[in-house]
Amino acid sequence: MDLTALPLRAAAARPHVLLVSTPGGTATRLAAERQLRLQDLPRARTPAEADILLVAGPECRGLRPAIDRLWQSLPAPRSRACADTPGALPEVLARCRAELAASPGRQHAGHRHENPVGGGPDAEFGDGRDEHDGDDEDSGGGHGGHGGHGGHGDSESPWGLPMAGQGEDRDGLLLDQLHVPLGPFLADWPDALTARLTLQGDVVQRLEVEWPPVGGGVGPPFWGEPWARAIAGERVDAGEGARRRAAAHADSLGRLLAVAGWTGAATTARRLRDDLLDGASSAELRPGVRRFARRVGRSRTLHWLTRGAGVLTAGAAQDAGMTGPAARADGDVPARYRTWLAALVRDVDRLADRSPLDPAEEGPRGGGAPDGPWPSAALVRVLPGLLEGAELAAARLVVASLDPDPDELAAVSGEVGAGD
Amino acid sequence: MTETAAWWSLLAAPALLLAGAVLAVAGDALLAARDAGRPTTVRTALRPLLEVPRLLAAQPRRLPAADRLLWRLGVVSVPVAAVLSALVIPFGGTAVADLSVGVVWFNAMEVVTWGGLWLAGWGPNAAFSLIGGYRFVAQGLAYELPLMFALLSAATAAESLRVGDIAQAQHGLWFAVWMPVAFAVYLAGVLAFSFLGPFRHPAGEDIAAGVLGETSGVDRLLLEAGRWLWLTSGAAMAVPLFLGGGSGPGLPGWAWSSLKTLAVLAVLVWVLRRMPVVRADRYVEFAWVVLVPLTLVQVLVPALLVLGR
Amino acid sequence: MESVLPAVLGVLALAGGVLVFRCDSMARATFALLLSLCCVGGEVALLGLPYLGVVTVLMMIMEMVVMAVFMIAYMMNPAGLMPMSMLHNKRGSLALSAAVFAALVAAVFLVPWPDRRGGPPPDTTVQVGRALMGGQMLTMIVLGFVLLATMVGATVLATRRGRYDRFGDALDRRTPRDPVGGGVGR
Repeated sequence: MDLTALPLRAAAARPHVLLVSTPGGTATRLAAERQLRLQDLPRARTPAEADILLVAGPECRGLRPAIDRLWQSLPAPRSRACADTPGALPEVLARCRAELAASPGRQHAGHRHENPVGGGPDAEFGDGRDEHDGDDEDSGGGHGGHGGHGGHGDSESPWGLPMAGQGEDRDGLLLDQLHVPLGPFLADWPDALTARLTLQGDVVQRLEVEWPPVGGGVGPPFWGEPWARAIAGERVDAGEGARRRAAAHADSLGRLLAVAGWTGAATTARRLRDDLLDGASSAELRPGVRRFARRVGRSRTLHWLTRGAGVLTAGAAQDAGMTGPAARADGDVPARYRTWLAALVRDVDRLADRSPLDPAEEGPRGGGAPDGPWPSAALVRVLPGLLEGAELAAARLVVASLDPDPDELAAVSGEVGAGD
Repeated sequence: MTETAAWWSLLAAPALLLAGAVLAVAGDALLAARDAGRPTTVRTALRPLLEVPRLLAAQPRRLPAADRLLWRLGVVSVPVAAVLSALVIPFGGTAVADLSVGVVWFNAMEVVTWGGLWLAGWGPNAAFSLIGGYRFVAQGLAYELPLMFALLSAATAAESLRVGDIAQAQHGLWFAVWMPVAFAVYLAGVLAFSFLGPFRHPAGEDIAAGVLGETSGVDRLLLEAGRWLWLTSGAAMAVPLFLGGGSGPGLPGWAWSSLKTLAVLAVLVWVLRRMPVVRADRYVEFAWVVLVPLTLVQVLVPALLVLGR
Repeated sequence: MESVLPAVLGVLALAGGVLVFRCDSMARATFALLLSLCCVGGEVALLGLPYLGVVTVLMMIMEMVVMAVFMIAYMMNPAGLMPMSMLHNKRGSLALSAAVFAALVAAVFLVPWPDRRGGPPPDTTVQVGRALMGGQMLTMIVLGFVLLATMVGATVLATRRGRYDRFGDALDRRTPRDPVGGGVGR
């Protein structure tokens, strides 16, 4: 029996999928998450863990280099696919798995070592430089050449890596500064958003938010779609708006709980989201949603772990132009997730509402003004103020508790760029 | 008195430990499937084992300017320390090596994972991996002292550092019953040194799997195996320390040892998905301000009892 | 076997010590030192003091790892992976260590070692405990307090933020104005 065939079949039987979505790809992402959950295909959190790179959503030119970098850091055997619509998913996944099973094996794969997007010391290195084996390094593992990049001889920056600058931290100590980009792709992160952090120790000293230029042609955001149609003059049921808003909150909660590491509750949130989008009735959903809201809302542990993080007063939120649940919450991360939970419970009771949707009614992330900008722009605008001075562990929680929507940001990408 | 077993137990002990770890992984897979709405069948339970051939086939990761020697050393030392720690745990009435300082040996092996995980985080030369590495040390500084006091409580009550003696000293009344704080702190410590469940902050989702984030292939297999082996070893050690070892009515000692180990393991696996990840920056203060005094008082109880005996 | 193992550990300990000066990365130097110290722990255990031996290994690993964290805290440029010389005052330290080593080796041969009288006790841990906690109880307690006071004092001196920065002027204020809250919620 061929010794490499068995492991390859195993990889194809349960591949880990690195799922990234592009702006406009929310519907596809949701379908993909659902399919991965039901087929027990684990989601990879980093390229190193993944066998399949699945890009959900339309082609986005600005994100292509980042996706290519991800692909380069996938270990062989590997497979890559794009699905721009939910309908394309089953076929695309099946093809990827067939590719994995028939992969020529690790020795033939053209694998290059790269820094991980978001995890590397700096996103700048690793592009198009020559590689050669160093002579001063121990090749301990016996896997041939080590991964040294060129650039010896320059004693200031060995291996061509930039040296960290120094700066005073808040306690008056002179510490090195490490520059770490969060995004554009990370597990449970608003895909395509890049937050460039300057860290000293574990403390975020500075934060810059970046946005890739979106190559046109992105329709209305998935979560705000009923509102967009209502604004366009179409008759939309208020129940449909409530359903979409509830699903959006469940999605946000799922992401926050995943970042907080509460695996069980995050899965429950995502199942509720999928059920909502499948059109389950209020009566079917009510007990589950209530139980979930009680469990998460009353969890002392979750409250203990998130309280005091990212305090945003109603006044500050209003100044930033925020209108949604994050503005109403008037407080820290627990205040925000409790606002989502309350809205979720309320909306699940209104799923059968046949009255017309008022375009001025609050969307999943706020808004309501028929011609106003999509509210995620304001959510991104407050990020630097909330994150500077926070611990890195709290930073991700704060971003997840605001959960700006990449689709909405794509719709206003010009405006965000101008705003910063 | 615990006997030192024959030479072949040196092979049997790791095999038993591995079997326990596989059961724990299978149990976790079943719970995950129930949460996710998938059918819970034998097939579901065994699917995670596909990871083994999958990771064996995957290419190991290479990164620019990685310290590969230290990285490998760290990755290997985690499962190796887990297996070494299990050598002093009596199974029924026999242990592979019933050292006179068994408790300290177990503790020392657990501290080897500090070094191992630190190196595993450091080696790849990637920021999130590094952060995962020092998160484990921060977490370690928080959980280690309460854990040591918990171990000391059992050792003080039995007036011995020999694990077999501690199991023998609980004539009918388990230490878990009259030293519940030590037992609870010990179980939390087990989750912490296997960096699983609420204590997987070093490999947390928010830093893209941290210490695990840059590993692929055999490296990842070793680290993942190390976590589950540690969980099993910790569960097995809880039995002689707090649950009376292999003593029990009707069944032979080894049967009681395995039953109790599996029960502890089941509780630990159940907790894994039921709690959010405890952030090290929050846990450190809690550990030093609440847990250390609490466990100190807990040590005082058996100490006074022994003095009065 | 009884003479081979101590010899192997001794050579390894020495090699680790030499490596500390040969490595050009802080991490490697740290862990070379750790290897050396672990071998010393092994020697102690082989001398019939298993408790002290294992505890030496335990403490040294913790110590070295904590040291490594401080290293990271101060130098994050991707950590200390940059090659850098670990040597300060090369000639002086070489002379000093050579002299100390020579003196110790000379002592091994020159000291009139006493012959063993009687057999070793079955459990040396008890003897260690009695030695430390019996006659030297007061010394140990005083030492402990001195160490603790030194650590707290050093931390207080190193940080700029004192009581008034944390709690403000109101002396009955219970919640400190810390930029990042802790886990107990004071």
